[in-house]
Amino acid sequence: MTLAVLDRPAAAPLGPAAPAPWWSDVRGALACTVVLAATAGVLGTGRVPVVDPLLAGAGLAIAVAATVGVWATRRSRPGVRSMAVPVAHLLAVALLHAGTASPTVLLLLLGPLWLLASHPTRAGVPVAVGGTALVLLVPDLVGTASGATHPLPGALLLGPLAVAVGSIAVNESGRRLRAQEHLIARLQREQDVLLEQVRSRADELDTASRILAARAQTMTSVIDAVTQQSIIGTDRDGTIRVWNPGAERMLGLPRLDVVRKRSILDFHEPEELAAAAESTGSPSPLEALVHAARTDGSDVRDWTYVAADGSHRTVSVAITPRSDDRGAHAGWNFVGTDMTETRATERMKDQFVSLISHELRTPLSSILGYLELVMDDEEQPLTDDQRRYLSTVERNAHRLLRLVGDLLFTAQVESGRFTLQPADVDLAAVVRAAEETARVAAATAGVDLVLDVPADGLVVSGDAVRLGQACDNLVSNAVKFTPRDGQVRLSLRRSWQTADGEVVADERPGAVPVALLSVADTGMGIPTGEQGQLFTRFFRSSTARRNAVPGVGLGLTITKAITTAHGGTLDLVSVEGQGTTFTMTLPLDPAA
Amino acid sequence: MDSALPATDTSPGRFRVLVADDEDDIRDLVCLAVRKAGCDVVRSVADGSQALVAAATDLPDLAVLDVSMPGATGLEVCTALREDPATAGIRILLLSAGAWPDEVARGLSAGADAYLAKPFTIAGLVHQVRSLTAGVPA
Repeated sequence: MTLAVLDRPAAAPLGPAAPAPWWSDVRGALACTVVLAATAGVLGTGRVPVVDPLLAGAGLAIAVAATVGVWATRRSRPGVRSMAVPVAHLLAVALLHAGTASPTVLLLLLGPLWLLASHPTRAGVPVAVGGTALVLLVPDLVGTASGATHPLPGALLLGPLAVAVGSIAVNESGRRLRAQEHLIARLQREQDVLLEQVRSRADELDTASRILAARAQTMTSVIDAVTQQSIIGTDRDGTIRVWNPGAERMLGLPRLDVVRKRSILDFHEPEELAAAAESTGSPSPLEALVHAARTDGSDVRDWTYVAADGSHRTVSVAITPRSDDRGAHAGWNFVGTDMTETRATERMKDQFVSLISHELRTPLSSILGYLELVMDDEEQPLTDDQRRYLSTVERNAHRLLRLVGDLLFTAQVESGRFTLQPADVDLAAVVRAAEETARVAAATAGVDLVLDVPADGLVVSGDAVRLGQACDNLVSNAVKFTPRDGQVRLSLRRSWQTADGEVVADERPGAVPVALLSVADTGMGIPTGEQGQLFTRFFRSSTARRNAVPGVGLGLTITKAITTAHGGTLDLVSVEGQGTTFTMTLPLDPAA
Repeated sequence: MDSALPATDTSPGRFRVLVADDEDDIRDLVCLAVRKAGCDVVRSVADGSQALVAAATDLPDLAVLDVSMPGATGLEVCTALREDPATAGIRILLLSAGAWPDEVARGLSAGADAYLAKPFTIAGLVHQVRSLTAGVPA
């Protein structure tokens, strides 16, 4: 009568269960209805005699109620219903059995018994057995039993026994099936999860590979855009892997003829490499080439490249190690700038400066040497007038000499060949010497020179000759630019400089000791707009030109270069018409 | 090679000095300073190759060499003198009107005992010659 709803496994926690097909909701209810209709039909045709219409009617009513119940609750979760519906049907069959006293209706037992046997728990089995016994006994109990329906005592025993065996078998196999179903469902869910993971990994991989491809494209396009520098990448053994248009242009070979076919060593001058190998003690020419880059992480120096046509190029090559994607050393990068013309120009400039130096200093040497002979000749003393005239010659020769020296010094600074010979220098002595040098000129110009230096001296680490030159420049400038009756004040003191560059008179935390040398004049001053250009070579202020102050505009350039080379700074404060103060700040040894 | 500037007579017991400079005026000035220092000018020449020959034949106590000379530069002469055991003991004073500070270092590393930049004062040169010949056994 009822093939009611089988309990479905509980929803898995891992993911949503597959939705049940539409017919699973109605199939139990439909089966109940069909069986019920068939029963009603059989009773209606009178093939099964109704002994007690009350009992048979009650049985039908309960069956109808149970069937309606199945229809009504078909969408709700299975629970009590799964036991209540077959029990109700058992009751209905019992009443029908009693009401008809016909064993035919016992066929209706199959439905509820099947349902109870296949109940997810074993509780269905005793209910089925008890129910069967009840159904068989009911006609006797209510007194409607006829001879045909009187069950034999053996049947009373065998019936429930057969039901027990059958329902245990169905129950067990049902449980096993359900367990397998559970397992399959779980595996299915796990498979779904794995599939989802695989899909998302694949997406990530796809995105990453597209980003990588875009990056590689960017790098390639950047490297290809470089046409004035050679960019060459090699393996560890020097085999060329990257060859940009700049390398094609510089060395005259297209990429296809070089990549994987040639070594970087093919483009280097062999003798230069051999010499480098000897001086660095490298076992191979390639090792000599990358020696410094291997040791220091990178290296920039001039190498001689040999182009395809055999021409030699002087190239400033930056060499760096190249790593693969795992960070392992994979080879070398060589980025080269052709310096052939630049180096030739530099050599010409150096030669020119040397020539000028030689050609100017040699005649000056003769002039000054013979002047010295004449002026110091004790056997033939000069008249006062002669001595005065010759002193003028000597002074001007020295002036020319200073100019040559300044020009040379500027050339040295520019070519980076200016070196200091550092030693402990007493700045106070340097300032005193500068005052002494300027004393005659100051007195002639009517300028008062005031000296304010610490009596116990102030020692810095520096080049005494260069510091003296810088100091002389500042003092002679101040005297030159100060009108008669003006004053030039030279002061030197120990101060402290804070991290943000401020100079303070007293020691404070974080400040470093400095020597503060200032030269203040009451001269014509420098217009504000010109102060920024003051340290530029050959720059002359408008006040200097207007007042015909002699000079070529190198003194401050040189002073600034010397100060910078000592790790110091040179600043000025100037008010037009009132005066100028130059301040040189030099670092002091903190321990001193 | 015939020197246009023949060897000067030297007095026994005085230090013997070779002077080499391509500038006649400067060379005369150097010779004057050498004599002022109480030494004899054994020979004065105008180029580097003559200086080498003179040094090998005259074996002076001191050679005053200009750096920038035709034939061979003062630095080359200096190196050559130091390489030859016969002339390796000659004291060498280099004179230069050069432009670069590293020339001093190059001169000294070539084996010169002292280096004087042009223009020099007579007094300074006399002082250098005296101090360089002070330790030489006459």
